[in-house]
Amino acid sequence: MRTYLEFALKKFQNKMVYRLDFFMGMINTLITIAVYLCIYKALYGNASVIDGVTYKMVATNFVIALGLSQAFTFNEMFMQDKIKDGSITNEFLKPVSFKLRMLSENIGEGLFKVVFHFFPALILTCLYTDICMPKSFANLVFMLLSMMLGYLVLWLISFIVQTWSFWLFSVWGIVTIKNVFINILSGSLLPLWFMPRPLKTMISCTPFESIYFTPVRIYLGQLSGMDIFKAMMIQCGWILVLYLTGNIFWKQGVKKLVVQGG
Amino acid sequence: MEHMIEVSHVKRYYKVAKREQGMGNSIRHLFKRKYEIKRAVDDVSFTIKKGEIVGFIGPNGAGKSTTVKMLSGILYPDDGSVKIDGFIPYKQRKQYVKNIGVVFGQKSQLNWDLPLIESFELMRYIYKIPMDLYEENLHQFTELLDMEDFLYQPVRQLSLGQRMRGDIVAALLHSPKIVFFDEPTIGLDVVAKEKIRNFIRYMNQKNDTTIIFTTHDMQDIEKICERLIIIDSGKKIYDGSIQDIKNRYTSIKNIKLILEDGRKEMRTYDTSKKPMNQIMEEIFRENQVKDISICETEIDEIIRDIYEGSSRILSSEL
Repeated sequence: MRTYLEFALKKFQNKMVYRLDFFMGMINTLITIAVYLCIYKALYGNASVIDGVTYKMVATNFVIALGLSQAFTFNEMFMQDKIKDGSITNEFLKPVSFKLRMLSENIGEGLFKVVFHFFPALILTCLYTDICMPKSFANLVFMLLSMMLGYLVLWLISFIVQTWSFWLFSVWGIVTIKNVFINILSGSLLPLWFMPRPLKTMISCTPFESIYFTPVRIYLGQLSGMDIFKAMMIQCGWILVLYLTGNIFWKQGVKKLVVQGG
Repeated sequence: MEHMIEVSHVKRYYKVAKREQGMGNSIRHLFKRKYEIKRAVDDVSFTIKKGEIVGFIGPNGAGKSTTVKMLSGILYPDDGSVKIDGFIPYKQRKQYVKNIGVVFGQKSQLNWDLPLIESFELMRYIYKIPMDLYEENLHQFTELLDMEDFLYQPVRQLSLGQRMRGDIVAALLHSPKIVFFDEPTIGLDVVAKEKIRNFIRYMNQKNDTTIIFTTHDMQDIEKICERLIIIDSGKKIYDGSIQDIKNRYTSIKNIKLILEDGRKEMRTYDTSKKPMNQIMEEIFRENQVKDISICETEIDEIIRDIYEGSSRILSSEL
């Protein structure tokens, strides 16, 4: 456990090395928030409620989704790069699990972004516009828990796509397409409240809803009691399915590497 | 003495897509591929005792790296077996790799953006090295390899020689029983090479570390290894001491001539075929010799001779 914590910390340190990148990331987050809030404001015009959703809720959804997506971005070319230059073999020479190591480095990177890009932006946003407070302290706790599950869902989707680099020359294109899907279908760009009903039903059958939207709804108190529990069980279900799928790809890929040679 | 490494009848084949030239063939290739079997390692066996330093050489593409990969557990052999320190590397990888260290001259495992010392720290956690052992090793290694000056510099700012030293230390901090070096002196200057060689020898003597070493630099072999395994086209063609191989070549002499008219000539003779006085007689009869020097064959030449397959001497005795 300590080993993996160390991987995360090293990645965290890594991210602090480049000063310009550090400050630009912060500014970038601020601008993104400002632009989107203006767009939503314009869309709402003088109306205070659209489809039963207030501007405040939309703003909250957006800010939380942004925070999560900051925490949830990581280097998705990690595996491809390692496979391409052959340094993945180096990883097999270490007595650590590659998957856990990758996960902990990604968490380190996400943590960095939350602490140094998102928190400052959040504080400034709170001064500029008001966003909803969590429904209750319990909701906040459940939201954090559900957020971690959401992270795993997102990570595992990325992991599956990344394992394809064992067979494909480049996974960049697929990663990009995957991210577009996630942006639209997970509600991070446009809250899922505004989606047409058939699309909404369809999305609820995919893992995408579990990523951002479940934590946001818990935070806002749209889910309560048993519903929270149910939503989290769905998240866990997706984690299991995605983990098993990813594992099949990973095992086959490693086999290809050790059996056929890199 | 027990055998640390036992390799018996190991084979490793690769399927290589075979392509023919021309547009027509390119299109055909899209639908139907022809494969060719390349025998990277073809029935190689050897054993290595604890504490031995073995130089593993062979021309490019001979199967050295493939063998090292099988020994370090990242490649399955197609046939035959490998047993190292009681482990079957490719089957018990996670347990096994705790006992080995691997240095690839061409691939760094250091963290590019952070100071060298941070990468060492990470190794401490990866291998769960006890603090006192870590500190002792780190202190000793950095002193021996003269690294105090750049321990706190980011790796990306280091020179190749400094980085290589860093990589070596990173691979040895956990005091592994077996160390694989894959061309550790590639691209380094004479001083850096010498430092690394001394260090490897020291590690071997002090901790009785078993060391396997691949290189293209014969100086490395001559200065570090007692034993030499030569492999070519996937087959082992020599296994024995360096002194032995040199002795077999003692009858081969290089004669450098400087003639009266200033021309320089280099000739090779085999004294077991033609006695020296006859050779000399011929030389003096045919040339106006101003200066002459007779040299033993260098290890470089011996190896070249073996690679080129003109080695009558070796093949007759193996």
